[in-house]
Amino acid sequence: MFVLAIGLSAFAQTSLKGRVVANNTDQPVVGAKVTLANQNISTTTNVAGEFTLLYLEAMDEEVLVESDGFIAALELVSLKENEVNQMDDILLEPDIVAQAQDEVLLNLTEEEMTDDEGRSQAQASSSSASTDVFNSNTSFAWSTARYRNRGYQSYAENYYIEGLHFNSMERGQFNYSAMGGLNDASRYKEVLNPIEATNFTFGGVGRSTNYLMGASRYAQGWKVGAAGTNRNYKARVNATYSSGIMPSNWAVTAQLAYRFSPYIDNKGIIGEGIKYYSLGYFLTAERIWDNARLKLITFGAPTERGQNAAVTQEVYDLTGSIYYNPYWGYQAGRVRNSRIVKSFDPTVIAAYEYKIDEKQWFKVAAGYHYSWYSNSAINYFQAPDPRPDYYRNLPSAMWDGQIANPNYETSAKQLFDDAGAHYPWGLFVGRDMNGKEYGAGFVGHDGNIVGPSVDEAEYNDLVDLWKSRDNKTTQIDWEALYAANYANNVTDPNGSARYILERRHNDIQEANASFNYVNTQFDHLKMTLGVEGKFSQGIHYKTIDDLLGANQWIDIDAFADRDIKELASNSGFTQEDIANVRKNEIAPDYNEVVNNGRRFGYDYRINMGNLKAWFQNEWNFNEVDLYYALQLNYSSMQRTTNMLNGRAWYLTKVADEKTGADAWKYYGSAAYAQIKAWEAAGALKAGTTYAGQAHHFLDPAFKLGATYKINGRNRLKLNALAETRAPFARDAYISQRVHDRVVENIYTHDNAKNLKDFYASSEKAVSADLTYEFNYPIVRGRVTGFFTQSWNGSELNGYYDDEARTFVNQAMTGIDKRYMGIEAAAAVKLGTYFTLTGVASVGDYRYTSDAVAVSSAENGMPMTQNLVTKELVFETTDKVLLKGLRVSTGPQVNASLKLSFFHPKMWFADVTVSYHDWNYLSVAPSRRMQGLYTGVRMDGTAVNGWFGDTYANAIQTTDGMMVSATVDTDPTSPTYGQATYENAVLDEGGVPVLKYPYNIMTMQESLAATNPLNRFIIDASVGKLIYLPNRQSVSINLSISNLTNNTHFKTGGYQQARLPRAVRQGQPDYQNSVITANAWKYPSKYYYAWGINFFLTVTYKF
Amino acid sequence: MRKSIYTYAMLLAMPVIALMTSCEARQLTPEDVFVDETKLAEVLAAENPEGYKIYNLNSLKSAPFMTENGNFMSDSSLYRTRSAYGSLQLFSIDTLPVNGPGIYIRARVATDDYGGNFYKSLVLQQTQDWENGGAALAEPQGLRISVDMGSVSGLYHQGQEIIIRCNGLAIGRYANQPQLCVPSYNNNIFASSAEQKTGWAPGRIPAARFRRATRMLGNPDVSKLVWEEYNLSELKTAYLDKFNDVEGARKLDATLIKLTGVHFTGEYDNYGAVANCNHYSGADTATVGNPELDKNACTFGPTTENVGYPQSRYVSDGTNRALVSTSEYARYAYYYLPAAKYIGSVTGVLSYYMDNGKYDPDGGEWSITPCSMDEILPEAQQHSDPAQRWVPKEWKKGVAQPEE
Repeated sequence: MFVLAIGLSAFAQTSLKGRVVANNTDQPVVGAKVTLANQNISTTTNVAGEFTLLYLEAMDEEVLVESDGFIAALELVSLKENEVNQMDDILLEPDIVAQAQDEVLLNLTEEEMTDDEGRSQAQASSSSASTDVFNSNTSFAWSTARYRNRGYQSYAENYYIEGLHFNSMERGQFNYSAMGGLNDASRYKEVLNPIEATNFTFGGVGRSTNYLMGASRYAQGWKVGAAGTNRNYKARVNATYSSGIMPSNWAVTAQLAYRFSPYIDNKGIIGEGIKYYSLGYFLTAERIWDNARLKLITFGAPTERGQNAAVTQEVYDLTGSIYYNPYWGYQAGRVRNSRIVKSFDPTVIAAYEYKIDEKQWFKVAAGYHYSWYSNSAINYFQAPDPRPDYYRNLPSAMWDGQIANPNYETSAKQLFDDAGAHYPWGLFVGRDMNGKEYGAGFVGHDGNIVGPSVDEAEYNDLVDLWKSRDNKTTQIDWEALYAANYANNVTDPNGSARYILERRHNDIQEANASFNYVNTQFDHLKMTLGVEGKFSQGIHYKTIDDLLGANQWIDIDAFADRDIKELASNSGFTQEDIANVRKNEIAPDYNEVVNNGRRFGYDYRINMGNLKAWFQNEWNFNEVDLYYALQLNYSSMQRTTNMLNGRAWYLTKVADEKTGADAWKYYGSAAYAQIKAWEAAGALKAGTTYAGQAHHFLDPAFKLGATYKINGRNRLKLNALAETRAPFARDAYISQRVHDRVVENIYTHDNAKNLKDFYASSEKAVSADLTYEFNYPIVRGRVTGFFTQSWNGSELNGYYDDEARTFVNQAMTGIDKRYMGIEAAAAVKLGTYFTLTGVASVGDYRYTSDAVAVSSAENGMPMTQNLVTKELVFETTDKVLLKGLRVSTGPQVNASLKLSFFHPKMWFADVTVSYHDWNYLSVAPSRRMQGLYTGVRMDGTAVNGWFGDTYANAIQTTDGMMVSATVDTDPTSPTYGQATYENAVLDEGGVPVLKYPYNIMTMQESLAATNPLNRFIIDASVGKLIYLPNRQSVSINLSISNLTNNTHFKTGGYQQARLPRAVRQGQPDYQNSVITANAWKYPSKYYYAWGINFFLTVTYKF
Repeated sequence: MRKSIYTYAMLLAMPVIALMTSCEARQLTPEDVFVDETKLAEVLAAENPEGYKIYNLNSLKSAPFMTENGNFMSDSSLYRTRSAYGSLQLFSIDTLPVNGPGIYIRARVATDDYGGNFYKSLVLQQTQDWENGGAALAEPQGLRISVDMGSVSGLYHQGQEIIIRCNGLAIGRYANQPQLCVPSYNNNIFASSAEQKTGWAPGRIPAARFRRATRMLGNPDVSKLVWEEYNLSELKTAYLDKFNDVEGARKLDATLIKLTGVHFTGEYDNYGAVANCNHYSGADTATVGNPELDKNACTFGPTTENVGYPQSRYVSDGTNRALVSTSEYARYAYYYLPAAKYIGSVTGVLSYYMDNGKYDPDGGEWSITPCSMDEILPEAQQHSDPAQRWVPKEWKKGVAQPEE
């Protein structure tokens, strides 16, 4: 619009005018990009579909017209000097293939898989923009492989709606389910490649996407559609009505979309045990004046859907299916999934654009958004773990304790000693998850070599239960859960339910506003000023979904209750002293009996504020464009809680036992001084709100770039950025459900005495890219090289630690990563009907240094003790050996070749062959701690059971010599925390190599399929658009993904954090743990790409 | 136009209403999850085309099911069962046939694992003669079951009657204690005296297989459990003398008793000899009497340094004595023993444990394992006279053992 406005004053020059309309309907196409290929000048169409280009050179030109949802058009025009050259209407054909793919993509990004530990599979990068050959050909084709643009985590990509920032401030990600199924709401968007000059935000190292939802963009008329698919939902119906621009100068568009699938009662197919219901609505209205426009937008999609989980390879192999889902079981003959997500994100947005004069304009927007997001899960108290795939329920659990010392390397020696006598320990079991055989034995029904230390009949019995998908064994046994509760009602009518289905709520309430001002009054200079503000509140609590037949749930923590004796004695308390530790609310008047929908367990909020101000200057000259931009970003976070957790209270007790300046730093903030005072005064009351300490951050960012226009068809772009980023709340709080303690570097930040301390908690990044773009009638594309280095990232992990024998939170800081690689794309026109597009991205995304992790028990139990002074150690600090490992954000090598067909009689078809490689499993930091290789942590404490001790003896030596390692534990030393290894064989990162099978526990695993052919994915689609009289049309599209049904394609996964350990009898605690050779006890879990799946849509427009 | 909007709205709404309200599972009732007595015969007949029989627990503990040397691997010289003591086979495994008629046992769960003494195990009590029509048994029978299931009482409550299809499982002896089990090779190289402990032994039944084999009969009813009441001299007459009657002793193992009129002597069993336990001084560096470090401390279940054997403490009526066993992992393990002046009863499972070192053919000592501290001298704990009331006290580091 504004480009048009600038041009209105001068008609004496050579200029070009035209109008872009959709074929058949004759509706104007709003926001289409019109580019003159030779002069490399572009503009966008206004609400009437019109465009004007001024100050042109008279010559033969190619006019390229591109718009989301349409096939690009190329027109030739001969520009006459000093005339207004008027073109005929440019007709665009709808690209029904791209539209259908957008819809599939939107669905895919919404379907995050979440496992028991809250991990989610990485989202694929979903932004597509038809004007960039690379982006438009990677977002869909590579989504199956979970490709992420430049290997960045999802928080690096920023999502805006009409200029308002919609990434979560707590976790960093954008929530696609807010727009579930509303393909029209998300149809129009502007996507900015990383670190380019922008117009709606400052941006960052990743891409920025701004969804544009103004009603005037939508063609007048009705559109109704139906779709069928074999993905998580099975069918979809939708209807959209657009008024077009009415005489009143209002335009209104509304869409309803309903997606559904009843429970899938078939084992071994996509979506087994899942149900899916989602009703999306979208309503947008726009009022247009001569120099202003107002947009009012609301949308939401109440959704209820079942989930599935990553499982170990053993489970996939036993069930013979990559679709096995442990979350469901039969109840009264019907499927019931224990993990039901309920989400609803009603959003309202108002945006106003005003043109002050021909050279300056502004845009202001405000939004409010409430996100109800919850998922259900089984909780249990004094009852067996109900998960069917709990490791003790698997055949491999029988191997536990059966695995002999691998120092005895031959099976012969394992059976008999040198004198021929039976060796005191039996044979090792089996074969590893990769099929490597180890030892002798019988072949179990599952193909694993087992025993003879496991009974054959016993092993095969359990294998048979799994292979036959026995309902009681491989699915949730709902009957058993009800039986446990009904029995409990009889024996202990006032006691706690043994099992409940609880609902974990993670709501977000946020209000945001933005202001953008653009000034072009100086020649060659465009100045942009932006201010963005956002307040966000994360609201976290639990309610009961279903008591499963029980009378009530007693709100105490099952794990704290179970461990209370050990917790008491380890810390020098009695169980009576710490009776509160089990409680989720310690106020004496709190009613622990929960039998209705009220909140229990935890009830806290994270309040987050953010204010950004940025400016950007863009200088445009004939041969060179330049820009630079600066941003200041203020953010804050504060936790408030309505429940005083007993574990938090307990930490104040521990702090009281400690002396010295550090006690306060470790065990509390202002909120806990209050707790102690009120407790002392006997004034604790249920329902009181306690505010924790607020944390404030200020982060600057700077970027600049230049474009050199070699000629009209070739250009070079160079961009660079430097920024710091405050940590997200989820990485800042050590255990936000329990207390408000933050990681140590935020403590340092809060008490900063110099600039270095102030940025102790911030991640720092520099990024640069260099792009060569070319644009010829036959071929167009680009090649980009990029480089990003980040320092001091932070990450929080929680897991059950078998050394400390409690749940441990591990705050990792100092994570340094480097992302570098090349992106290339070229689209070649092959005659009239065919286009061949090649796209590739080859990256190298790695950790460039080791990180430091501080580990502490969630319940405050000591982690270890000083073996000399016997003093208890509540926090351990150690180095995490990450250097050289790959960042696990999807495949780092991706390439695809796409052949597209378009016939003017409106037939569409394409086939894409994609190859993905260099995809690596996420490494559990707990398995890469330096202390596991040296026996001593960076902080000087001894590790209870490490890879080099007498019993494991797993570190590979050279020539059979003894390994020794020393760690510099002097904090004042320049080499503090560094280890020196003698006689060890070291890998590329300087980490000692472990003997098989210990190496399986620590090495980063490649996810690429063993057979290279299985690294290929083939997609195809075919579509037909039928024009009917009276501007009506019917379009049909069939999109098939993974045509060859490749079910060997792992997309991601993670190592379990637990290490297999055994207790060495006859040794005191803190000296009794041994890492066993049972690498199969807690193996990695994986996600697989779906096999062949289709999406068929039929749309009728009238 | 109005009509078409209405039509489309209806088209959209209909599947919403139809699909969201159907296909959801109804709530289960007790009738769905517990087998009714009247339908049991029908259920078992359907499950066993070749017929079935319900056996008494003591029958399962006898030939042909349980044999002296066991049938599992007994012909193999390579893979031995765990070592015997002298001529006495302390460990044995007899597998029960997978196929053929159903072999059932029917009994009531007698234990609760919340207190920590019955980790991954159940003790069953049978009071009716199911093998012969269901009349009351003269003496209740007991049997242990090892199940690889933490918090097993959460599913199998104390007082719950269950019926178990034993086909494919095994009956064996672990330290001479009979139990329903599966064969398991103890290969723990990290155990103390590892070589002695290596070999085939009764192991825990995988949870999935146990759940498949087990049905719950009606609601649990703790009142139907029977604790035979004895004073120590009666116990000596009735039970203790049977210690050397190996077969008789095996049958008595895992029965329930209530031992009355006893007090704790502050002594522990030292390989058959009696020794005084160690008092804690409260000094910061004290290891003597500290239950974390001293296995002979004066608490119910001080450390065994993770070896895991139950700690034994003597009770006496002044003349005779027996042992009370407590796991070091029990919730009350670090509570001090009550002084001798507190007199009352101890209720629990009668245990008969004969591992190598512990085997003492002349000791004649049985032990009782309570489920929780509530079963230890409840009369003294609830005594109306505060001077005679025992208030259990837990060890605390740095605080001396209180004098009573």
